Amino acid sequence: MKKTIVAILVVLMVALIAMPSVAQAKPRMLFVPGVVDPFYTMMEKGIRAAAAKDGVDVTVSEYPKAWGPENQIPILQAAVAAGKYDIVLIAPTSTDALKAPLKAIYDKGTEIITVDTYIGDGNYTKAGTDYGFPLAYIGTDNYLGGKQMAENLAKLVGEKGKVFCEATNPDTSSVVDRVKGFTAGVAEFPNMLLAGVEWCQDVQQNAQQQVLNALQINKDIVGIFGLNVFSAQGASQAVINAGLAGAVKMCLWDATVPNIDNLKKGNADLVLAQKPAEIGSLAVDAGAKYLKDKKPIPNKKIVPGFVFFTAQNVNDPSMDQFIYK
Amino acid sequence: MDGEIAAEGGRGILGTRAGRALAANWAAGFLLLMLIVFSLTGRNFLSIVNFQNVIQIQTVPFLLAAAETFVVITGGIDLSVGFVMGLASVGAARIMQLMLAASVAPGWAIAAAIAAVLVGSLLPGLVNGIVITKFKVPPFIATMGMFGIANGLALKISQGFPLGGLPDQLSAIGNGYLLYVLPGEFVSLFSRPASIPYARIREIARLVPLTLPFIVIALAALSFALKRARFGRHTYAIGGSMDAAVRSGIAVDRHLVKVYVLSSFLAGLAGVVNIFQTGIGNYTTFNAQYEFFAVAAVVLGGASLAGGKGRIWSSALGVLVLAFLENGLAISGILPFYRYIAVGVLLVVAVVIDKLFPDAR
Repeated sequence: MKKTIVAILVVLMVALIAMPSVAQAKPRMLFVPGVVDPFYTMMEKGIRAAAAKDGVDVTVSEYPKAWGPENQIPILQAAVAAGKYDIVLIAPTSTDALKAPLKAIYDKGTEIITVDTYIGDGNYTKAGTDYGFPLAYIGTDNYLGGKQMAENLAKLVGEKGKVFCEATNPDTSSVVDRVKGFTAGVAEFPNMLLAGVEWCQDVQQNAQQQVLNALQINKDIVGIFGLNVFSAQGASQAVINAGLAGAVKMCLWDATVPNIDNLKKGNADLVLAQKPAEIGSLAVDAGAKYLKDKKPIPNKKIVPGFVFFTAQNVNDPSMDQFIYK
Repeated sequence: MDGEIAAEGGRGILGTRAGRALAANWAAGFLLLMLIVFSLTGRNFLSIVNFQNVIQIQTVPFLLAAAETFVVITGGIDLSVGFVMGLASVGAARIMQLMLAASVAPGWAIAAAIAAVLVGSLLPGLVNGIVITKFKVPPFIATMGMFGIANGLALKISQGFPLGGLPDQLSAIGNGYLLYVLPGEFVSLFSRPASIPYARIREIARLVPLTLPFIVIALAALSFALKRARFGRHTYAIGGSMDAAVRSGIAVDRHLVKVYVLSSFLAGLAGVVNIFQTGIGNYTTFNAQYEFFAVAAVVLGGASLAGGKGRIWSSALGVLVLAFLENGLAISGILPFYRYIAVGVLLVVAVVIDKLFPDAR
């Protein structure tokens, strides 16, 4: 009897000791979004779906209420302090200000994957930089997207006339790349002129005012590129306010329901849909695979594509999956 | 100390009757000066289209500044107005979505959502008022708490998404004009003739945004309540001296609750206007800082943060000063960060003038 009790106790002790290691065998990831908005909410959906599929424990930090490192860094640091993670998936809100906090986390043994936005210039394979430590950057090719927006807008306006770009935060990699791509795209058409770029700082009301001002300064603007959720919605609103819906061609970035509604109503002409859920799921898949195989991600970069909604395909049921909802 | 500053400031040209008149009306003078300068520096600044645009998109700030005026006169502050507005906007949108999904006619869905939201918007003010008067929590803290609660509720309702799929009538009314004129061809009421091709839209003159008579009537009613009604007299009395108000028999706590309820009702009304103007339910983004611009407009309009002073039309003037400063500088090609500096300098000037001439306005 005594032996049996001792044997049971030994088994229990072994089980208790073994339990944490069994629990820890499940990879743990933390997702830190850029700001509370539909794009990152969609990304969270993709992350959660992939985590369930891959057997990953995922925690989502508080959503920063406003864009910027001053809002994001405290949230990142608090979330990391509250738990032990194998990988942090983060949309850095600054190309520079997030380098040091992320490096500090990396140095303590947590891998980093940046999603949607990047630190430095996003080329994590470049030698001799202070931002080569993340496993990968996973996000849309924003330069290409901006350029294709310009090319499509050119077609819509007959390759001539003044166009305007309503942007958001000037210190964000994705935003800067879209502006650069759009500027380069417009420059390919000698009879087109980029009349200006404004920055709404993720405030729709600012975007609305700035586009109204632009339409007032240049009454002959023929096309507008609204460069993210808030810029696009504010720009559309301004064109409706000005009574110019349909007369000014609108290319909008991000397939929110209001942007898609505007396309259906003829208030917009083109909507670019990124694939935030796919970005999220790719990040979890790549992270889980790395933890398992320890093989580096090729070029430290994964670039999902994007799709365009037009008046012709907006009602196609197969396109519904790309709407942020 | 204030008296000394005022006495020193009262000497020289500023001590003359003209100087005092200038101090009393400096915001109006500054607005006039801006209009003249920007007419020279900004392309197409001086145009009815631009002025109508500015007034049209300031409808929400007009309402928020009016809300803040009542509170500031009592010596308080309401930091929750911006987020209560966002909560009202997404709340109304969600109600409309649900009713439309239940096959309710769009007109009824709009009416029911507006009614529900306007009634519901009394609640944040009631809570603010009770917390401030019964539990003696400073207004800054109490309304900042409501700021967070309203923001969280709005995000919970919207799940972080703008709420679309709402009736087209909203945007048509919110962005409509009384008259559409194409000289020599037509004068149309409320909408442009559908036969006009897109290529000719720019030729149409639109006159009197529909929001203009709405906001003029709303501000006139609020001004009347403040200047002529007992409600307004009690508001000034409390801000002038709380003790004196108590001694004169005013139910101070009860009145303060009413003031905060009125403030959040006006913020809810601003949310309704917002949904008409944008056609979507929008949570307030953190960067928007509606509440701070509302307080700024009230201060520019001559109200004192110490209480006892302020007028509805003067606060509306403050809104216009901020709006035309931003608009004029932008149209003149000034970079955004200089515009922020200009607004900051202007606010400091407003407070300095208030200190130099405490009785000027």
